[in-house]
Amino acid sequence: MISVKTLSFITGRALQGVVVMFGVSLIVFFALFLTGDPAALMMPPEASRAEIEAFRQAMGFNDPVLVQYLRFVGGILHGEFGNSLRFQRPALDLLLDRLPATALLAFVALAWSSLLGFVLGTIAAIRQNSGIDFAIRVISLLGQAIPVFWLALLLIIVFSLNLRWLPSSGIGTVQQLVLPSLALGAYYFSAITRLVRASLIEVLGENYIRTARAKGISNWRIVVHHALRNALIPVITVQGMYFASLLGGALITEIIFAWPGIGRLAVDSIQTKDFPVVQAVVIFAALVFVVMNFLVDIAYVFLNPRIRL
Amino acid sequence: MTRFWTVRRNADAVLAVALLAAVAGLCILVPLLWPLDPTRGLLTATFRPPMSVVDGQLHPLGTDQLGRDLLARLGLGTAISLGIVLLAAVISVVLGTVLGMLAGYFGGWLDIVIMRAVDIQLAIPFILLILLIVAVVGPSMGNLVVVLGVTGWAIFARVARARTLEVRELEYVEASRAIGLSNTAIIFRHVLPNIVGPQTVLVTLDLPRLIILEASVGFLGLGVQPPTPTLGNLIGEGRSFILLANWLVLYPGLTIGALVVGCNLLGDWLVRRADRRNA
Repeated sequence: MISVKTLSFITGRALQGVVVMFGVSLIVFFALFLTGDPAALMMPPEASRAEIEAFRQAMGFNDPVLVQYLRFVGGILHGEFGNSLRFQRPALDLLLDRLPATALLAFVALAWSSLLGFVLGTIAAIRQNSGIDFAIRVISLLGQAIPVFWLALLLIIVFSLNLRWLPSSGIGTVQQLVLPSLALGAYYFSAITRLVRASLIEVLGENYIRTARAKGISNWRIVVHHALRNALIPVITVQGMYFASLLGGALITEIIFAWPGIGRLAVDSIQTKDFPVVQAVVIFAALVFVVMNFLVDIAYVFLNPRIRL
Repeated sequence: MTRFWTVRRNADAVLAVALLAAVAGLCILVPLLWPLDPTRGLLTATFRPPMSVVDGQLHPLGTDQLGRDLLARLGLGTAISLGIVLLAAVISVVLGTVLGMLAGYFGGWLDIVIMRAVDIQLAIPFILLILLIVAVVGPSMGNLVVVLGVTGWAIFARVARARTLEVRELEYVEASRAIGLSNTAIIFRHVLPNIVGPQTVLVTLDLPRLIILEASVGFLGLGVQPPTPTLGNLIGEGRSFILLANWLVLYPGLTIGALVVGCNLLGDWLVRRADRRNA
């Protein structure tokens, strides 16, 4: 049953999300004004003064800043981020075209890293301080230490160039999905392994686990039925945040593996100063983050009845 | 039963210090003592593998596409990357600590505004925001320091605020207020010393993120511009030649790995030590 308290908690969180998105829109909008002249920034350096002036007029950069900002926010609310300067198409269309590729990559990366991280984290926690635990800890430490781009290049060197097992770029076949999702998921795999291990070790030290043991319940049953359930709460919280920040890693992964997703769109747009597209991507990424966190907050309340609102 | 990995609880700290000392040695000793110019090479000696000798001159890590010595470039690049990251960390810590203390100490609308700003900061993917700003203001070393620093304050503000909320209620703070100490004096003399410890640990754990972030920006070609080397743009440049000369990518990557593992182990050890002391 949803109580009034729960409901007001949910509304509060939703409002908070709206405030955050408002702030994000402010930052994204005013970032273009850091040099003082967005028109000169967006035009190629060889553009003449008259061309820049005409562009300034066309983009409405001569209007008061507040008017421009309101127009910007109004556009976003209607799903309009302006036209891409490069492609002369709505920025949002470009983003939506690329979205499935990134979503697929992110999903596969998150799936293998969560599953494997979960299994290895559990094994490490049950066999704490054993050789297996030590090995798993070393692997997860390395996984967090290696930058995505370096791991990606190593994977290409080993599996594409030397062994010739897997293709190093492109999209379409399952083989082409393997290396990018390995590279992208490595960090999350390590993080989730460490988190599951730490969380489970803490829960296994609780009194009710000792009671269960005293009752003669098998070790396996204790872990599956009693411990994991509580150990997973922090993991789920972090999971939501990871999913949202996956886009940062996807940026690099997509560049290296020539994966036609949002991350590559963002970097290409930044390098060609196609700012409407960049703005669209940043706002979209922030929206995903806010929505994920909102969902996690709600899931948290329902998963953990001990939380007092 | 004791096994070798449980024998010494400080073994990881020793390893961490060894790794960090090795990297520190690399970025201090090489630029000072190694005689080869990191930005000038011999075009007749390109892509020489590690340990090759050219004109009686040893290249321990080989040479790159322009015949430049990789050891010299790696030394300078590590020094520059570390410099950027450490300065940025200082900006983040100072900014975050001050804002967090203000939010926690005064509460009210100030608290609300600052903590919402933290939420906003955390909602934007760092790397996108940094790339956006660097694309607008231009990729100089100074800009990079400021951008990395200004975009990283949020977690420090959170911790500083939480700690301030605890300390604010302590009796000696109440006492100092009773004898008429000003808010500024209380914050800096009585609250701040309690925050320094946690923030130090947090910096150690946050440095890996900054190191990888800086390297990523460099890798994408939006960081410090060539021919100046950084860890990221060394890998970015070497990427085109991985078939021909994988050492160009290998050694800068290992350096980043050593730095990050070192910081993580040291941070974890500091956390455990603090826990033991509190227990």
